[in-house]
Amino acid sequence: MIPSDPSQVKAICFDRIHIPDVHRLEVARQHGAYAFLPAVLNEFEPDKIVAEVKASGIRGRGGAGFPTGLKWSFVPRNTGKPTYLLCNADEGEPGTFKDRDIMRFDPHLLIEGMIMAGFALDVRDAYIYIRGEFKHEAEVVNEAIREAYEANLLGEHILGTDFSMDLTVHRGAGAYICGEETALIESLEGRAGRPRFKPPFPAVEGFYQCPTVVNNVETLATVPAILEHGGEWHAGIGVDNNTGMKIFSVSGQVNKPGNYEVPLGTPLKTLIEEYCGGLQHGSVPKAVIPGGSSAPWLMPEHYEIPLTFDALAKAGTMLGSGAIIVMDETADVLAVAKRLAHFYAHESCGQCTPCREGTGWMDRVLGRIQCGQGHPGDIEVLHDAAVHMAGRTICALADGAAAPVLSVIKHFPEEVRAGIVENAA
Amino acid sequence: MTTLFINDEEVTAPAGTSILEACQQSGVDVPYFCYHPELSVAANCRMCLVHVEGWNKPAASCCTPISEGMKVYTQTEDVQQDRKMVMEYLLINHPLDCPVCDQGGDCKLQDYAMDYGASRGRYAENKRAAEDYELGPFITTCMTRCIHCTRCVRFADEVAGTGDMGVLNRGDRMSIAGIVDECLSSELSGNLADICPVGALLDGPSHDVARPWELTSHKSTCTQCPQGCDIAIESRGEEVIRIQPVKGSPEPWLCDRGRYVYDAFRSDRRILQPMMRESGEMIAADWDEVMARAAELLTGKRVGIVFSPFWSVEGIAAIRLMRDALFPEARVAFDLHRRDMRPFAFEEGFAQTTQQIEDADEVVILGSDLRQRLPLVMQRLRKRLRADKPVTRIGAMNYRTNAAPTHDLLIRPSDWPAVIARAMQQVMDLGKPAAGMVEWMEQVEGRHEAGKALADALMADSCSLLVGEEIRSHPDAAALIAGLDLLMRGCGHAEEGRDGRNLVPEGMNAQALSAIFGDVRVGAGELFDAAANGELDALLLIGSDPVGDGLFPSHAKEAMAKVPLVQVGAIRGEISDMAEVMLPSAAYSEVEGSFINMEGRVRVATQPLKSLGTERPLWKVMMRLVQALGVEVPAVDMDELRTAVKRFLPDLSGFWEADEVDAYMMPTRRNPKAVYMPAKSTSQSGKLDVVSRYSVYREGIWARASDLLANAGRLHALDDVLVHPDTLREAGLEEGELTIVSSRGEHRYHVGTRLDVSPGVLFVAKRGVAGDLSDESVVELRGGTG
Amino acid sequence: MSAAVESPQFTEARLEEIKVLVERYPYPRSALLPVLHMAQDDFGYLSRDVQQLVADTLGLHLMAVREVVTFYTMFREQPCGNYLLEVCTNASCMLNGANDLVRHLCDTLDIKVGGTSADGMFTVTEVECAGACGGAPVVQINNVYHERVDAAHLDAVIEKARGGKEVDK
Repeated sequence: MIPSDPSQVKAICFDRIHIPDVHRLEVARQHGAYAFLPAVLNEFEPDKIVAEVKASGIRGRGGAGFPTGLKWSFVPRNTGKPTYLLCNADEGEPGTFKDRDIMRFDPHLLIEGMIMAGFALDVRDAYIYIRGEFKHEAEVVNEAIREAYEANLLGEHILGTDFSMDLTVHRGAGAYICGEETALIESLEGRAGRPRFKPPFPAVEGFYQCPTVVNNVETLATVPAILEHGGEWHAGIGVDNNTGMKIFSVSGQVNKPGNYEVPLGTPLKTLIEEYCGGLQHGSVPKAVIPGGSSAPWLMPEHYEIPLTFDALAKAGTMLGSGAIIVMDETADVLAVAKRLAHFYAHESCGQCTPCREGTGWMDRVLGRIQCGQGHPGDIEVLHDAAVHMAGRTICALADGAAAPVLSVIKHFPEEVRAGIVENAA
Repeated sequence: MTTLFINDEEVTAPAGTSILEACQQSGVDVPYFCYHPELSVAANCRMCLVHVEGWNKPAASCCTPISEGMKVYTQTEDVQQDRKMVMEYLLINHPLDCPVCDQGGDCKLQDYAMDYGASRGRYAENKRAAEDYELGPFITTCMTRCIHCTRCVRFADEVAGTGDMGVLNRGDRMSIAGIVDECLSSELSGNLADICPVGALLDGPSHDVARPWELTSHKSTCTQCPQGCDIAIESRGEEVIRIQPVKGSPEPWLCDRGRYVYDAFRSDRRILQPMMRESGEMIAADWDEVMARAAELLTGKRVGIVFSPFWSVEGIAAIRLMRDALFPEARVAFDLHRRDMRPFAFEEGFAQTTQQIEDADEVVILGSDLRQRLPLVMQRLRKRLRADKPVTRIGAMNYRTNAAPTHDLLIRPSDWPAVIARAMQQVMDLGKPAAGMVEWMEQVEGRHEAGKALADALMADSCSLLVGEEIRSHPDAAALIAGLDLLMRGCGHAEEGRDGRNLVPEGMNAQALSAIFGDVRVGAGELFDAAANGELDALLLIGSDPVGDGLFPSHAKEAMAKVPLVQVGAIRGEISDMAEVMLPSAAYSEVEGSFINMEGRVRVATQPLKSLGTERPLWKVMMRLVQALGVEVPAVDMDELRTAVKRFLPDLSGFWEADEVDAYMMPTRRNPKAVYMPAKSTSQSGKLDVVSRYSVYREGIWARASDLLANAGRLHALDDVLVHPDTLREAGLEEGELTIVSSRGEHRYHVGTRLDVSPGVLFVAKRGVAGDLSDESVVELRGGTG
Repeated sequence: MSAAVESPQFTEARLEEIKVLVERYPYPRSALLPVLHMAQDDFGYLSRDVQQLVADTLGLHLMAVREVVTFYTMFREQPCGNYLLEVCTNASCMLNGANDLVRHLCDTLDIKVGGTSADGMFTVTEVECAGACGGAPVVQINNVYHERVDAAHLDAVIEKARGGKEVDK
């Protein structure tokens, strides 16, 4: 749940989130849902919509941070093949739990965003790929979709226009890798979620080799506001090249963990201290994972870093999904790194040699060190295994796997060495 | 064309080529495991990583297309380091089995470990082991060695078309598995051992027998089917250990029949000594004695000669020389599946290469179980279908193809005239008549709608017909083929360079057989009947087994019961029980000789294996027979023999002198005057057309002598007698023991049903039990208690 | 093969549901994951026979189904207890005591992680991030999310379940 906290800037995705029963169409409508949709369908040209989204400067909210308008513009027109819109609701990046709230509290915001995006991209069939564990959330969204169909907001001739679109919720079945867009497409085709190499890119050859756009829930949920208030309005929020609001999922060792929608550029310290009630122990974090478990760790010297894609990239890490895992002075960082290594080993799809073999290797070595049975060569092994999988694979899971391992050996060498027996063979 | 730089050298390649292929084309070595030129790109091994200038991470060269001005470096420090790490990752779980692994000496992992790997691995944790799976009678698995390149999975999907191999689990728990508990259901399964880069999938029959460096390679030609694939017979000393494909051949794969027939070479069914019958027993004797016996049986007699097409061209020419010298009036038959001996408008043989067929706009299979008759042609058609190019099939059964033809139509053999007439009607309506079509059509009462699919395909720019056994063995085959010829000519598919008329032959050397025996040949049935009627005094069978193969088993048995049989051959067959004399001739692996495949490709085998006994090349046996009967020998050595061959086949001399392989293709005979009108309809109500089905593992005297293939044949056994359930229903009968009424009388058989066969047809499997029914064209079905 | 055990079948209603579902996708294969969820709900777990049923229903090769069933964590090839307790032990949940919860459950139920209690009622597993880290530690009980869980809460759930009452959020 989100504590209601006064903010000078109006929330975008969480605008209606506190309103009781706003997942029901009737209530959502009372609070503005679908009010602007007729205007979009009747007066906007698809090109204009893409232009507005470009002008908004919004960058993908799922982790990659790729400019959304640019992604949409890659879709070729008049190929004779249908274009598909897929909403990535797989939300598997450890520390991330923001899309869950949008879907279970204000599903109509997402649906409206998808209708508008679908209209812009000339989509006939759209899907929401939701992780299998979100059974309840899928039910809520399905019910909202049913209501939307009944109200002629989905299906044939939406609101009496020429635009028709079907929307289907598709549940995954427990695989983090399906959050990767090409693995998501594979999964939606009824296969194991093994990522595809690029090129070809999904925009050109995606779902069943047709043009496909995959967008995150939060990204799509922002579209109605962008179209209603204009791309320029959105670009005025946040910071240059890092525009708009962002929902940060903050968890770990803070007093008030939860989802907080704040403007991009908000300093990390502000978020933790003013929104999240500060750390469970002490006043300065031991380390912060700023963008989901795949992000390299931030050290206390970066406690005041503004939360933007660019600033974090410059500091050698990433904003990613905006999932912030906070470790305070009592945290066993080695255990955290080991647990994350285990996560990546478990979730690796197994295609690429370095990731398939290397993630298990790092997990087992860290496990040994954790039990105090490390060998002197282990740090070099961990380093090599991590460095030679990052950037060498079909997808970026390997890069994510490398991050916590490299972070812990770089920033906490003493804690790692504590588990190593110097005279071991 | 795109220009790029590889290690600072300028290179041009077609746009869209992958970096890896561009490197290979310019002779730059880039290591890889998962890439294979015949399979889709997987890009999962990550061994092929290279550095591209300006890119912040290495590129997987197998899946990255080249671009103009790209600068690729394959030997940088970083690239070397990455390769070293990939090797280290792979050796984490790969067991150090080299001393006991058959792949040793021919193993990518070993080679790359030497070239790129570190001398010690640093992995100190537990290694995983994997369960082994049954993948058929020919493949041995040791899945712990698997490096998950997925070549086998892609092979099963794309080449074999069975889709029964897959990837289970994920991460380092990933394992490759086969779904079928007992066998891999593909006739191409042996290729799995070739494509597996490590010792996870190994050739079963040669498992734990020899190491690659112990083997000598003998280049030869397979003669099991008309494809005549290039093969390398690998032996250790005199023992054949395995048969391998030859790199650079027209076909990249071998089928299991050609690959695993080799145990027949040393089977106890080989004829290795001259034998003759004394007091009912076959005893070995020396050449002179047995030749004398043969002379007794044959001198001055009216002899019928039946031989198999799988001998070399030289051997076949020697048969003709022998006949002319000893039995100038003798009837000769070499085709056990042809009932109609009138000339065909296009005789046996392919006008096109298999590549041209693969590339044609349209391909139509007419009456053939192509997967079992020509597995590698079927594989090319499977490739077509994967690329969304059409394949149409019309025939008596939806034979399993492991790929779904675009149009698949069931008819019964007696429908062929109506099918062709219907196609002619459409072709004429569309303004593409050929002289003679009207007359042909007028002879046919009905029109069968399946002809539409044929006509539609003929409208394309290029159309290939694959005319199969159902038509070739039809009693009215000449008329049917004349009709097809009219269609092809009318639609522009008969001129040079556009000729799509491909008739699947009986076996190898079809073009040579036409040239050498065209004027004296007769139908096998006719020949056997002549013997049974007392018009012949003796039979000389050279390599042929007309009881085990072909459509005349009963005729052959009657003939052999009536007259003495002299058998010349390499393998005993069912007929050997009735032979008076057996003269051993060498196997195809033991001779130097020329072979011509259905496309007209000529191959010369020059490194034969040593003979196992006293068997001799066929031509020598023929000449010795001539000598034994007191006639001057027409050819005393290979040169004289080849001179004789050149007389029959003048074109062949150009080939023998040519430097390049495949520079010359022997054309197939055409008989433009072979215009025949279709006979009146033979379909009688209540009667069923008989179609014989072939098991790729059991057809042919060699295949039946192979235990390896017999094992596979057992696993893939065809049902003996089959009909469509409607056929039974119309006759008021049920599945089970029924009576079949034919010209041979009444016999009881177990009759099963399947939905993928044409109603009105009785299918007989050539497996022995119902084999005799193959003689028949038409039978009647009655109840079991009748 | 003797037909000693009847092979599983979908009900008419379920088949109708599947038919409608398949229409929503360009090709039937896309319906594989949803249909496997249905089959798991109907039959409790995905035995080889059930997998064959799904393959036949959608016109797929059994291998295609097996690849999917073994790839995804939520699909079970073995039966489990009436209550599946999935404890997230990933980073945030671990930092908030998830490992203690696992130990507590294992001690209370006298099983090892992954095991099922002797009365067949409870199976305890560790899972990866459940996507509700704000409510760490998170336990899913038959796919229903329980957040900010402590040992007492789990004890109450176990007692309620053993008492024959339905366990809800």
